[in-house]
Amino acid sequence: MLTPAQPVLSDGTRISDLINLETREVQLRALSDKEVYELEMERIFARTWIFLAHETEIPDAGDFVQRDMGSDSVLVTRDKSGEVHVVLNVCTHRGMKVSTLDSGNTQAHLCIYHGWAFRPNGDFIGAPVEKECMHGKLMSKQQLSLKKARVALYGGLVFATWNIEGPSFDEFLGDAKWYFDTLWCRTTRGMEVLGPPQRFMIRANWKAAAEQGASDGFHTLTLHRWLGEIGPYAKKPGTEGGGADLTPEMYGVEVWTDHGHTMRCIDLDRKIRRITGQDPSSLTPAQKLAVLPPPGLTPEMIPDVVSRLTPEQIRIMSSNPPQVGNFWPNGLFEFIYLPTADGKVVGAMALHAYVPMGPDKFMFMNWILAEKDTPPEQKAAMLRISCQLLGTSGMVEQDDSDTWPHQTIVAKGAVSKHITMKYQAMYETGKPEGWPGPGHVGSGFTKDDTNWSFWQYWHELMIA
Amino acid sequence: MIANLLEPTPLPVTVRANRVAVGSPLYNEILEFLYDEAEMLDNVRLGEWAELLAPDIEYNVPLRLTKPMRQQGGTVIRTVQHMHDNHASLMLRVRRITDTRSAWGEDPPSRTRRMVSNVRVYKTDKPDEYKVQSYLMLTRSRFDFDYFDLLPCDRHDVLRRQGGSFQLARREVIIDQSVIGTPNLGIFL
Repeated sequence: MLTPAQPVLSDGTRISDLINLETREVQLRALSDKEVYELEMERIFARTWIFLAHETEIPDAGDFVQRDMGSDSVLVTRDKSGEVHVVLNVCTHRGMKVSTLDSGNTQAHLCIYHGWAFRPNGDFIGAPVEKECMHGKLMSKQQLSLKKARVALYGGLVFATWNIEGPSFDEFLGDAKWYFDTLWCRTTRGMEVLGPPQRFMIRANWKAAAEQGASDGFHTLTLHRWLGEIGPYAKKPGTEGGGADLTPEMYGVEVWTDHGHTMRCIDLDRKIRRITGQDPSSLTPAQKLAVLPPPGLTPEMIPDVVSRLTPEQIRIMSSNPPQVGNFWPNGLFEFIYLPTADGKVVGAMALHAYVPMGPDKFMFMNWILAEKDTPPEQKAAMLRISCQLLGTSGMVEQDDSDTWPHQTIVAKGAVSKHITMKYQAMYETGKPEGWPGPGHVGSGFTKDDTNWSFWQYWHELMIA
Repeated sequence: MIANLLEPTPLPVTVRANRVAVGSPLYNEILEFLYDEAEMLDNVRLGEWAELLAPDIEYNVPLRLTKPMRQQGGTVIRTVQHMHDNHASLMLRVRRITDTRSAWGEDPPSRTRRMVSNVRVYKTDKPDEYKVQSYLMLTRSRFDFDYFDLLPCDRHDVLRRQGGSFQLARREVIIDQSVIGTPNLGIFL
């Protein structure tokens, strides 16, 4: 039986038995077990901060989107004063979904079942025929409001948690914030979504995607090998790496943190040399950013970025910018430089959520973003290349989506479920000389430490 | 307007008075084109299929949203889409499958069946171009899975007369699901 203090599965297996902290192994059973999944919904998705939406999806008063916060449907709303709320999408009367729509605009969410109405902030307005008092006299209107989650806005991203008294969002981000600020908070006007998210269903456990999302580098070499064969990273014969070899792309810096947020930081100097032909050592950090602006930025936007961040952050942005990473537990972001056939570089900015839909199913959500100040033509180019390489039909990510279901199927085998996933490639470098950022840092060829930090924090919360 | 840059070129409007009669020689010729195209795609003859694509083709698959009856115009989203391709990007998709040994999303390939029906043909302002609407019921079987991924959709094409046959000059595919029930669109619709 599941006991709250020391989670033990019904066959006597403890959660801690599924993970070997010394040898850095996780039993496959963790990927598909129904009891493990139910514990995750309670101990992770109902307790930690979960990414749900971008503010620009709900720009006007009354705007809302329907989202899933773990196994619970919620409405992300904006009220008259402009404040963003996250409320449980469950009518306090008889449990009908208050809204069945993907998005919309209203000042009064009307439950179609018995007509109970709620404000965007969840406050109960009333039921039909007020004088007959359908809602009774036992509970106050305040008690009949929709259940309200705690909300945090960060660089336009909307996060929420049911853990009302728990750690603040900044505590949750921890050491990752210093780096994430260089992505999400780099411009004064901020980012915007270029449309609603793509959504598609994958018959796999959410962690199959999420642990890969914790900055897995190694899979690129094999699973995404086509990129080097004919794709955007294909090299001309005789140049660095040559042919299908993606190895040179795998060097850089990786950062992992105690709360499972991670990132892979690329070696920008190499890209500057290769793409612009300039010598990076002769350029200041601000000049480097102007020569090869990060995805979504232009040279004209760099002074604003420089004014908003510390010199140390600018130094990292211009030498080892985070290219992919994750918001623990189930968010992934990409700020990718994509070389095009004509020698230019198009950036792509995408954000994924792997929304659990049961132990063997999750919904892949993909938001495509740009800075509000990104020139329209550039936005259009970023949008096109994002749709072509990422998400539903993405030539890169369709290979990922075919892998996770097989891991999930295998994880059910009576013998297979005891086989372990291994995270034993470890950095032995420590932080690079003079590295100004916090967190755990490794330098060189990609390793497993980032993925492992995903599981470490998973374990920590599951047994907490 | 930013929307003009983000969104695909609008399709020519369907003018009912310009209907090409079902069973007429022209209609039959277009029907055969659609059947042959389905056969090529179902048999993964992608190189042949690519030859049907006009150099200026625009190919897009919008998102769908669940909206109330009175806002049905807002259910088709053409900013962020599932696919938005031109000739070069479609060719990259084709070559990824035909010319590499690592297009794992479709290797081993799905077994697909494209049932094309409800074909309606309309003349357009351009004498050599026809607006063609069809329903597509695509079944997709993967590996040893005992279920099919189903992709019912509504296709809006422009076919251009090219010598003795046609080229696909435009395709928009409206999928019936708001959340796509197949793990990727590594196949063409």
